[in-house]
Amino acid sequence: MPTPSVNSRASGDRLPETPLFDRNRALAGYALNKMANGLSKPANRQAFTDDEAAYLDRFALTPEQKTAVIARDWNEMMRLGGNLFYMLKISAVDPVAMTRIGAAQAGMEHDDFLRRRLGKTING
Amino acid sequence: MAEIIGGLGTSHVPSIAAAIDKGLADTAEWKPFFDGYLPARQWMLDHKPDIAVVIFNDHGNAFFLDKIPTLAVGVADSYPPIDEGWGPRALPDFAGARDFSWHLVDQLVENHFDPLVCRELEVDHGLQVPMELFFGRPEVWPVQVVPILVNTIQYPIPTPQRMWDLGRVLRGAIESWATHEKVVILGTGGLSHQLQGSRAGFINRQADRAWLAEIGPHPDKYLAMSREDYVEVFGSEGAELIMWLVMRGALSETVRTVHSHYCAPVSMTGAGMVILENAVAGS
Repeated sequence: MPTPSVNSRASGDRLPETPLFDRNRALAGYALNKMANGLSKPANRQAFTDDEAAYLDRFALTPEQKTAVIARDWNEMMRLGGNLFYMLKISAVDPVAMTRIGAAQAGMEHDDFLRRRLGKTING
Repeated sequence: MAEIIGGLGTSHVPSIAAAIDKGLADTAEWKPFFDGYLPARQWMLDHKPDIAVVIFNDHGNAFFLDKIPTLAVGVADSYPPIDEGWGPRALPDFAGARDFSWHLVDQLVENHFDPLVCRELEVDHGLQVPMELFFGRPEVWPVQVVPILVNTIQYPIPTPQRMWDLGRVLRGAIESWATHEKVVILGTGGLSHQLQGSRAGFINRQADRAWLAEIGPHPDKYLAMSREDYVEVFGSEGAELIMWLVMRGALSETVRTVHSHYCAPVSMTGAGMVILENAVAGS
């Protein structure tokens, strides 16, 4: 089965910077999202923590997807069909703030992202 | 007959739950947000609803992508809070309104809405957070709930017009229930936010404030928008706002906006709330 393109423009998104979780992404990311969904169960969280590579090998991830998860490359996980709400379960096991996942996708430094993108006032 | 006493719209951002759990509600960062909900807490105390119909989306918790219902209704006696990956939260289970829920299902299908009917269902922050914002953290929730879940994650998601029509059918269904129970409708999600793609962090404060001001008096404007318009104006996850149209559609043509509140950013979201009451004839 050919890997569906998950490039924003190729999949027909009207807003190129705005990937919608459509058929192409749902197809491309199914195993990746299933892996992350498993982390809702405590036993799987433990397995992921104990031996991440072995846990990932239970699922039919592509080599690219596996590399992206191990590197915590949020932008790449989303590009390869990961849906944010499942990818967040990785951030629950290995804590990363939502705003840092946002900054990584925006390609911005975290403080810069908070100030310029979110309009947050930062004291001190 | 059962009576719809009002509709409230609110964000359901999960970081609100985390702030409560970590005891941060009174900190400088969070207090202005939570204080804005005090009028809603008081409104609930004054109006004492018996049942809350809660329209929300599951966020990959109760449903995995193997089976995604576009519309689902709970008919259980009780709904436990679900572990989303951070561990279980110390929340009481939510009591269901079983017979009333089945009545809603009967009426929905009679009127050509065909939901997945859930005898067992765990509920995520989409329901938990609105309940905590409106009722605090009691040992027992003061209302029974009817969870109504809308798919807003995997495309195609339903259209704004369909959400409105669902609200209209719900109104007839609620008002044909042969008790004198008081029912409040909670439309949840939004406001503007985008969590995915290089536009992540998009917040549209102007559009959010307009939404809060206009959803009561001018919902027609928001019915006319396409799903793509919602994504463009409110961000990819801000399209959750279509679920407020269910709440608004369940109310009278003319409503009174009793209170609204807005705070941004909450995590990565423009967070807001509105209280709407059906206008009394002649007022």
